[in-house]
Amino acid sequence: MDWLTPLIFAPLVGAIILAFVPSKQTETIKGVALIIAIITFILSLFVYAQFDKLGAGMQLTVNVPWITSLGIHYHLGIDGISLLLIVLTTVLTILAILSSWRSITEGVKGFFVSMLILTSGMIGVFCALDLFLFYIFWEVMLIPMYFLIGIWGGPRRVYAAIKFVLFTMFGSLLMLVAILYLYFQYHSFAGVYTFDMLKLMQMPIAINPQHWLFVAFALAFAIKVPLWPFHTWLPDAHVQAPTAGSVILAGVLLKMGTYGFIRIAMPMFPDATATFVPYIAILSVIAIIYGALVSMVQKDIKSLVAFSSVSHMGFVMLGLFALNQEAVQGAVIQMINHGISTGALFLLVGMIYERRHTRLIAEFGGLGKVMPVFSAFFMIVMLSSIGLPFTNGFVGEFLILLGAFKANVWYGVFAATGVILAACYMLWMYQRVVFGKVTNPENEKLTDINWRERIILIPLVVLIFFIGIYPTPLFERTEPAVRQVIAHIEQTRQAKQDLERIDERTLALREGAGLSQKVTEKGVTR
Amino acid sequence: MVPIHAYLMLAMILFGIGAFGVLVSRNVIVMFMSVELMLNAANLVLIAFSRALGVVDGHVFVFLVLAVAAAEAAVGLAMIITIYRNRETINIDRYNLLKW
Amino acid sequence: MEFQLPDFDLRVMMPEIFLFLWALVVITFDLSTKRRSGAAVAYLAMFGLVITGILLAVAGTGAGFGAMFFNDAASIFFKVIFLGAAFMAIGSSFGLLRQKIQHHRGEFFGLILLSTVGMMFLASSNELLSLYIGLELTTIPLFVCAAFFKDNRLSVEAGIKYLIIGAFSSALLLYGLSLLYGLSGTTDLLQMRINIATTHLNFREIGMLPMISVIMLVAGLGFKLALPPFHQWAPDVYEGSPTPIAAFLSVGSKAAGLIAFAKIMINGLQVFYDQVMAPSDWGILVAVIASAAMIWGNVAAIRQANIKRMLAYSSIAQAGYIMIGMVALNELGMAAVSFYMFTYLFANMGAFAVVAIFEDTTGSTQISSYNGLAKTSPFHAASMSVFLLSLAGIPPLAGFFAKYYVFASAIKMAGAADDKSWLYWLVGVGLLTSVFALYYYANIIKTMYFTTDESPYRLSVASPGSAMVLIGLIGVLLFGLYPTPILEFAAGIPEALGVVVP
Repeated sequence: MDWLTPLIFAPLVGAIILAFVPSKQTETIKGVALIIAIITFILSLFVYAQFDKLGAGMQLTVNVPWITSLGIHYHLGIDGISLLLIVLTTVLTILAILSSWRSITEGVKGFFVSMLILTSGMIGVFCALDLFLFYIFWEVMLIPMYFLIGIWGGPRRVYAAIKFVLFTMFGSLLMLVAILYLYFQYHSFAGVYTFDMLKLMQMPIAINPQHWLFVAFALAFAIKVPLWPFHTWLPDAHVQAPTAGSVILAGVLLKMGTYGFIRIAMPMFPDATATFVPYIAILSVIAIIYGALVSMVQKDIKSLVAFSSVSHMGFVMLGLFALNQEAVQGAVIQMINHGISTGALFLLVGMIYERRHTRLIAEFGGLGKVMPVFSAFFMIVMLSSIGLPFTNGFVGEFLILLGAFKANVWYGVFAATGVILAACYMLWMYQRVVFGKVTNPENEKLTDINWRERIILIPLVVLIFFIGIYPTPLFERTEPAVRQVIAHIEQTRQAKQDLERIDERTLALREGAGLSQKVTEKGVTR
Repeated sequence: MVPIHAYLMLAMILFGIGAFGVLVSRNVIVMFMSVELMLNAANLVLIAFSRALGVVDGHVFVFLVLAVAAAEAAVGLAMIITIYRNRETINIDRYNLLKW
Repeated sequence: MEFQLPDFDLRVMMPEIFLFLWALVVITFDLSTKRRSGAAVAYLAMFGLVITGILLAVAGTGAGFGAMFFNDAASIFFKVIFLGAAFMAIGSSFGLLRQKIQHHRGEFFGLILLSTVGMMFLASSNELLSLYIGLELTTIPLFVCAAFFKDNRLSVEAGIKYLIIGAFSSALLLYGLSLLYGLSGTTDLLQMRINIATTHLNFREIGMLPMISVIMLVAGLGFKLALPPFHQWAPDVYEGSPTPIAAFLSVGSKAAGLIAFAKIMINGLQVFYDQVMAPSDWGILVAVIASAAMIWGNVAAIRQANIKRMLAYSSIAQAGYIMIGMVALNELGMAAVSFYMFTYLFANMGAFAVVAIFEDTTGSTQISSYNGLAKTSPFHAASMSVFLLSLAGIPPLAGFFAKYYVFASAIKMAGAADDKSWLYWLVGVGLLTSVFALYYYANIIKTMYFTTDESPYRLSVASPGSAMVLIGLIGVLLFGLYPTPILEFAAGIPEALGVVVP
């Protein structure tokens, strides 16, 4: 039975239903949107239950021809990595919708329609196994996000929205050309037109074009991650976006970049991956340290969280490009963790922003006295973001560092300083916001978070501790997938090296034969 | 017999004069006449080739071009009259409400 | 000598003959009602276009008039585009009938129909003479249409500019055609192809002539397609002329120019495409012009304050993208061009339909007056956004597949032949400029949506113009999600134009 199609299109159908609800009935709109998000979540749980955790390769696949004349298929399938990201997406969507309950007052209908279309696009990206389909879902997300930032964002929203769209569009156009090149290359290799990722992966590509293709894909994904120095859109977009937008942006959209690396760029171009490992690793290390240092000097809590994302995503990239089982698995877990903890941080920032309409650290102080429950939640989430043992952050970062040390000691050493710096900026910020006396009289009247806000935060806190203490279910599901990716890269490179060695040997033999022939010829002429 | 090159050279000169007139003149009527000169240069080429090749399609072509040119002139002059009523000038530089 | 009439087959010409007569009927109808026909005359014209479409389906393929008139996959495909463009242009001019065109309604619609007849002739002609006549029949009625508001200074100015440029470009084209006739000794394009292929070595002796001929042809057609450096007329004429006419110019006239280009350059002069024929090969020449169009069109569009001028520059840029498919002369190239034109029909006519409704309601064509339109007219604002995003090439809208297809044809050609690797550069320019394009399209969406102000204008949903918007919307969405039937039909076009794959 096809479980993925309903999962992808449930939010889209919901968006269409929502479009017919009169825009005056805001409560109905919110209710319908929430119900649809919950249905999507339940569907994702079904998918989770259907998923065979021992099985390697793609599961729950669907493969139907779509545009036959171009060889485009509607090909879906998931492995452990995509499974976890899908569940993360559906969870965060519910929370994002709940968090917008009071903060969105203008254009309610448009907001929730955009949110639901966005969800469809995100789930689609994680399910697509056809490059063309992948590209379409990838681009579909762009427009709702543009509207979310541009209509419901902060004061500099227009600038942030256009910057976000142009950066992403630039990257994805490069990807489009690379996809087309692959498509024709495969035709000359196998005589069939296809965009099927699994088939394209089997194709050997000469080293030089492989480098170009890798660069094209890597740029598209690196902009999305965002890897230093392509991160400049991120602080603008994150800070200006409404809370729900920031949560989805940080929680899911950034993961698409790293997901693209592990699903497409790395397995499809193994030799190029090996070539670019040092460059990307260095960029990741720079991102880790740069992100942390810049976070430290931020005056606005939201931009602090935004820059900390740059640092955290640097960890994920470093893990992926350490290319060993521990690091890659750590990176995958860290993708989920970052979604949970940064999503929660943005939600918390949104909650105090709703009350005070400012996010400047200097405006706060002593919140622990007036908002004790809030401060407790804030503490847990912050510690998870730092990576304290028994929280989810620890599991991922530890594995990444372990793998990084294995790959190259220096990467590990520099990345580890990032962990320390993270503790510095987070704790310092927490101290300035929560501890001390209430200095600003406006803070005295603040009310603590209500039941709705607690309901939003509780699932995330539960996940933080659950993954921190018992990460086995995640490991079980991602392990075969990660093993397969690494094995594929190793095998392809091995096969190629063997082939080259054989070539060299035959060449040498031929040369040897040629020499002997010359000798005999000389002998004859003599 | 006059060689075909001579006709072609003459046509090219006529065409050049016409094109130059369109580009340089500021008077709409003169521009329009220059276009007619360009069309006639093309007609000359057609006739010359038609004679050299010994076929008649070139001649037929010329008749149709003449007819089209007449239609174009009819429409064109009508429009020049309209714009003259509107602006009281036929200097193309004065038609500057739309950025050129 | 016994004179024999060539074999003529009226069946294949039925749609053109009908539409020509119908144009006369429309004009007579307006006269017979003593110029009080109102909207009925527009409905009559639209009805005629629908009947022509049906006749086109009935007539099928075939040749008439001794191979002077061909109905093949290419001509039928483009005729559908012309009919669609005329239909949507007439559909969005109901607002004009109420205010600006009180008299001469019959002539307005009759001339649009006559111009459509010209385009259809052009698409079917396989021979220089009928091609030239078709082209003139296309443009001369449009001169009048552009200047139709004869008391409006802008409109008359637009008309006269279009007239001078149109006549000048026709003269250039005709000179090129006359030289071509001399070089090949025939006016028939297929015969020309054969003659040139067998005797093209002799051209070297004639010297400069082939080169002049090719340059004249590219320049003449470049004017029609508004490709740089022959593009300056387009923004002026679009701004000044009635909005439906600007729309018809941007889609119908452009498609006509494209099919003329394809007929002459591909069907007749494919030999000249190759670099063997340097310096008279047109491949590189057109590639340079196309990249200039993409760069200049997109950059200039960014700083426009008038939406019609903005759409004019965007259409210049779109012509550049289309020409990528034209220079990628393989089995995908012309199919990509045709498909692009087909999706462009819906996206651009739809966008112009919204502009027309807005202009009729508010009298303004400034982008700034669209401020906050999303709040008062959600349907029109959302449709406009969809059209603009389709023009920008965002999936899953039809415009994306069009752009994809064009780029695919170029990359395929570049990969197939070593001496065509400059096509990669063309694709690179296309991609980079797409980002600029997205910027100014997104800018209009920003104006409509990203503001807290409420627009003082409210556009009516129940009007024929809005029906045209709906048609455009359906086309853009439907052919974005399921382009297969159109792609399959378009796949036959390169063969019909006799593209030889190297």
